[in-house]
Amino acid sequence: MAGSALRRLMAEYKQLTLNPPEGIIAGPINEENFFEWEALITGPEGTCFEGGVFPAKLIFPPDYPLSPPKMQFTCEMFHPNIYADGRVCISILHAPGDDPMGYESSAERWSPVQSVEKILLSVVSMLAEPNDESGANVDAAKMWREDRAEFNRIAERIVRKTLGIPTP
Amino acid sequence: MGEERSTLHDRFDTGVNQDELILQQQRQIEKEISEKTPLVGDMENFSSLEKEYAGDAVYCQKVQDLSAKYKSMRRTRPDGNCFFRAFSYAYLEQLLNNPEEYERFYALASKSKDNLVALGFPQFTVEDFHDTFMEVVSRVGKGGGTFTQTDLHKLFNEQGYSDYIVVYLRLITSGRLQQEAEFYQHFIEGNRSVTDFCHQEVEPMYKESDHIHIIALSTALNVGVRVRYMDRGESSEVIAHDFPEGTRPSVHLLYRPGHYDILYP
Repeated sequence: MAGSALRRLMAEYKQLTLNPPEGIIAGPINEENFFEWEALITGPEGTCFEGGVFPAKLIFPPDYPLSPPKMQFTCEMFHPNIYADGRVCISILHAPGDDPMGYESSAERWSPVQSVEKILLSVVSMLAEPNDESGANVDAAKMWREDRAEFNRIAERIVRKTLGIPTP
Repeated sequence: MGEERSTLHDRFDTGVNQDELILQQQRQIEKEISEKTPLVGDMENFSSLEKEYAGDAVYCQKVQDLSAKYKSMRRTRPDGNCFFRAFSYAYLEQLLNNPEEYERFYALASKSKDNLVALGFPQFTVEDFHDTFMEVVSRVGKGGGTFTQTDLHKLFNEQGYSDYIVVYLRLITSGRLQQEAEFYQHFIEGNRSVTDFCHQEVEPMYKESDHIHIIALSTALNVGVRVRYMDRGESSEVIAHDFPEGTRPSVHLLYRPGHYDILYP
């Protein structure tokens, strides 16, 4: 089983290297192990995360792509759909029925025709447009709704931190 | 594999997330139960089924009826993929000895990928499943002494191949539903669109099949399926439903609530 997962992951890696989507780099941390990847995601333009470069880790199960990978940011994050420990909580990372967050039924779910690229593009959309109804980080969701200015200030500090620029 | 997966999971779940833990545990239990049955079992007579229902008058009568109509059965793993797995096994098994039908199916299966891509499925990922599916179909076509029933059986019990066949049939089913969305919309309850239904109930693994899946797949491949229903219903017989209606069935399946096995006339 892991044989087909490995073949698929190698093909996806090749594809992502040849045709990288804008603002995204991803690949295995070490080519000895294709089941652990690192991704770098650029904050989408025109949003409070613009300019940041956010590192994340993807862990693939042995039956990938039948089951989805897990994704976790390895830098500090403050976002309604990201847990305090960096785990990303969006619908495409869950098969339908696996529903700890009670996503809307129309939300895009994991299925074997999805891909790493689709996940990363969904994460970029998530950075641009948080879903404040899924409370992976309740404080962030509340602040996003009620005090956008403060949310933006925190986001800016995190962006600077990812770039290694000292914060004022 | 179970162990490996739970370690990965533990490493990730340093934060507390009870819901996910519960879900994980539930999955694990289901998995342990289902893995007691091979993906596809050996051919067997109906005595084990009889034993299963000893003391249950309604079911015993139906097992009697079943054994008057069929010679034997073959069980599949109850993992939500059983319809697709049972169907593909039973059908490919027949193709081993039917070169004419094989030619027809080979041509149809070869073209099916372009059809899916035209419908908007991502070429890159569909190709992955289509390649494996065609590899299996091609092996079946070798026939004679080079690829036997035993080889097919072995291949269907290798998770990598077996699951990829299931995925590809799910995609063909989804493709047919979306292609004929106007027709199939009537069979979908609630406000879901056909596309949403496909994303939620057809394309993902482990999702159980209903009539709508069977109609779409049997029509798409032009392969007749007869399902024998064994449930608490009044009748003393195992009632037959043919998909698509009016066709001569080539695949026979036994349905018990929530599960499909293969039947041999």
